[in-house]
Amino acid sequence: MRRRNNTRLEPTSPVSLYVHIPFCRSKCPYCAFYSVIPTPVEVTAFLEALEGEIGFLSKSSDRPLLRTAYIGGGTPTLLSPADWERLITVLESAFSFLPTAEVTVEANPGSLAREHLALWKDWRVSRVSLGVQSLQDEDLLAMGRPHDSRQALESMAEIKGKGLSLSVDLLFGLPAQKLQGWSDTLRRVLDEGAEHLSIYELTLEDGTPWGSHPPRDLAAGYPFYRWAQYYLEKKGLLQYEIASFSKPRRWCRHNVAYWSGAPFLGIGPSAWGYDGTVRTGNVADLERYRWLIEKGIRPTLFSERLEGKRRAFELSVLALRTRWGIRIQEYRRLWGDQMLKDLQDSLEGLPPCLFRKAPGRIALSKQGMRVGNTIWERLVP
Amino acid sequence: MKVPIERIRNFCIIAHVDHGKSTLADRLLEATTTVSAREMREQILDTLELERERGITIKLVPVQMKYRASDGLDYVLNLIDTPGHVDFTYEVSRSLAACEGALLIVDAAQGVEAQTVANAYLAVDQGLEIIPVINKIDLPSAQPEQAAKEIEEVVGLDSSEAILASAKEGIGVKEILEAVIKKIPPPFKDRVGPLQALVFDSTYNNFRGVICYIKVANGTLRTGDMVTFMATRRSFQVEEIGIFGPEMRPVDELGPGEVGYLICNIKSVEEARVGDTVTSQRNPASTPLPGYRKVKPVVFCGFFPIERDEYPQLRDSLEKLQMNDAALFFEPETSTALGFGFRCGFLGLLHMEIAKERLNREFGVDLVATVPNVVYQVKTTSGEIIEAHRPSDFPEASLIEEVLEPFIKVTGFVPAEYVGKVMQLCQDRRGVFLGMDYITPQRTRLVYELPLAEFIIDFHDRLKSVTRGFASIDYEHSGFKVSNLVKVDILIGGEPVDAFCFVSHADQAYHRGQDVVRKLKEIIPRQLFEVSLQAAIGKRVIVRQNVKPLRKDVLAKCYGGDITRKRKLLEKQKEGKKRMKQIGRISLPQEAFLAFLKSGDEEEE
Repeated sequence: MRRRNNTRLEPTSPVSLYVHIPFCRSKCPYCAFYSVIPTPVEVTAFLEALEGEIGFLSKSSDRPLLRTAYIGGGTPTLLSPADWERLITVLESAFSFLPTAEVTVEANPGSLAREHLALWKDWRVSRVSLGVQSLQDEDLLAMGRPHDSRQALESMAEIKGKGLSLSVDLLFGLPAQKLQGWSDTLRRVLDEGAEHLSIYELTLEDGTPWGSHPPRDLAAGYPFYRWAQYYLEKKGLLQYEIASFSKPRRWCRHNVAYWSGAPFLGIGPSAWGYDGTVRTGNVADLERYRWLIEKGIRPTLFSERLEGKRRAFELSVLALRTRWGIRIQEYRRLWGDQMLKDLQDSLEGLPPCLFRKAPGRIALSKQGMRVGNTIWERLVP
Repeated sequence: MKVPIERIRNFCIIAHVDHGKSTLADRLLEATTTVSAREMREQILDTLELERERGITIKLVPVQMKYRASDGLDYVLNLIDTPGHVDFTYEVSRSLAACEGALLIVDAAQGVEAQTVANAYLAVDQGLEIIPVINKIDLPSAQPEQAAKEIEEVVGLDSSEAILASAKEGIGVKEILEAVIKKIPPPFKDRVGPLQALVFDSTYNNFRGVICYIKVANGTLRTGDMVTFMATRRSFQVEEIGIFGPEMRPVDELGPGEVGYLICNIKSVEEARVGDTVTSQRNPASTPLPGYRKVKPVVFCGFFPIERDEYPQLRDSLEKLQMNDAALFFEPETSTALGFGFRCGFLGLLHMEIAKERLNREFGVDLVATVPNVVYQVKTTSGEIIEAHRPSDFPEASLIEEVLEPFIKVTGFVPAEYVGKVMQLCQDRRGVFLGMDYITPQRTRLVYELPLAEFIIDFHDRLKSVTRGFASIDYEHSGFKVSNLVKVDILIGGEPVDAFCFVSHADQAYHRGQDVVRKLKEIIPRQLFEVSLQAAIGKRVIVRQNVKPLRKDVLAKCYGGDITRKRKLLEKQKEGKKRMKQIGRISLPQEAFLAFLKSGDEEEE
């Protein structure tokens, strides 16, 4: 097997791992993530290929040490418990985990089984991120989700019942969505014990059915976002990133790693990785992914190395997504006085209410997060 | 074939739009076998692609036909096609100057229309012999007697010998040709006198330079002669002369009365002005032929290249177009929003549109045209008179004594049932009623005086919609008159923006200011802070609105660690806004200006 190892990870420095499970029961009309509707044969072949890809990451002697792992998709719960056992074996043999490692699995109501939860609980899973999207059945119907609100409520109860930390994904700006329905969804999700929420505005992505034929009556996202900011704060959740809210210290460390520019490994078709210098992207096609690995070729099709101003820009934008923002001292140390001045100049003249009063940091306030895109754009070199 | 001057006829065809002028010209070319059936295309004289598409004639194109008449003799007939639209009256008058007679075409179904009258009057004014032709007699709705009656009663010409024809069916073509020979006099002759040839049009060819369209009045022009253009006093050696058949066909000489072209290696617009007289260098004429009145453009707008680096190309193209379009005026202009371009003057809106499209098609220049405006005369308190081609030419309000604007006398032929609506439209446009009479019990002639500014924006469209297309209009300029006009400034974030300011009648300033501000409010992208929009006359603010600050703009998703994608989105987003104009703290995308400046049609609700 030919090895082309681009990653330059110190064997001892802990990293994050993302695993992409490219299967869904059906394709949602708005979703741009890569997934296919699987056959049992394909699932087995995928797991084999995944194992092959891990082989490229490190020599078996110095297994990467993980501080967080995130198994997402697609729909990881489309893998049967038996497949999951195999996946766990593969991961355990290839990686070491810090004792404090955060391991998150994405699950969808409708395909999440008790056996999944039992397996995860016995393994290392600490968080389950459930794709609830909405608790209003008319929303779920309009979105073409393969589950209803009753299944979502059951899944949430089961996750909590197992003692796992529950995170919930929700969408807003849906066709004909009403604020009453949104506030009802948020309230019931918290009632079920969610400790973490990711709320995303529906975006019409190119290459999706809704991207080319947008549904009618799409609700404007702003009122929902504002309501969430208001309501979730009142309920004791912290908005630690533009789309993420959590109970104190329950933020997702895996996502925080993305935003702080930390290195992470990505495996599976369409997965992304970053070694601290080079960003890589895997081929977004299961067939080609398997074919490349069979031929002993790393399935990475994209890579880029950012330097200087563009790297500073990317890191700044990532940092400004979070409530911790940019640390001024650190920025000066990394990039120098002139670039710090450029950064400050580019934000000059903006209303003060867009920024959080945080000594030694540049961070967006609640208002600032609402218009993040326009602010970040100013930083483009 | 050389014929004596007694057997030359120079004539043109004048008609209201759509009365069948070009079709008749085609039939004449066929009947004289000037153009073989194989070469025949519809409307062969309308050479510009644009003319064919729009079915109208813009440029005059002369063509020579040979015809053996019933008296057994051969004649040379020079047909000079003329534009029908009111904007091109100037071109009509030039082509008339090269003729001794005219065919006046009237649609048998529609009767006399506004431009029939206007063009007939021009021909009468030039002393031309006029042969009335009642066309389209094959139509079921044709009423030739009624049309003949209108020619007598409305135009005032004898229609007892009007020819009944159908150009489409080829009826009456022979009769027309015979009438041209019998009724239209041959050109005035002086074969031996000093050469006098009138330049009645010109065109520019990349390889051959300027091609002058000429009519020889006196003397003879030969290849190799040294000639002088009397107005510019420039001399050239004649490289080639020829006739139009309808393609250019070289000949050795052009005698008196003959119409043709002249090529003598002229490279610059300035050296061969339309209206100039060409004479012999060795034996010059003592006086030039009666020149043309210099037409003054009345409608102005800015032309700006869409790609900024195409400015030189636009300038070259305008220069070449001017060779072809003597009425076009232009001068350099800069705009805060659009950069470098030209302020251009036109005879009317159609003239403007045609120029824009020709620049685009013939010269490949993509451009933006700003909302047209008229020229104003501003009298200052110190007694000075300023010609304002654009609102920003206006001096400060306190320095203005009075403002004059151009007025026109509009004559409309309106079916009686729509008279009320047309009168209402004219009143709304500050029109003054001058008179009305009935041509027939069903049709009236309505005369109004209107400010040109009220006419140029969308008067035609409005008229068409209130009369369902059953009215026709013509207008003539009636001079400058004092009006209660004010310049309205538009301020964005407290900064006046030239591109948006306008001149308005004081009574309408508030409403128009409201319209502009409302439109701007829709166009201006939200900023991170509140932006004030104001319309003001001098220091007095008459309209004020605020653009609320941007409330939400988040790129939310993070596709499984795909950070590259997000960065690229931001970079793309920024790239799209590179052409933003900074006005104070506010960035406006070029598109905002374009949307605003181009949309003249939305001026009225």
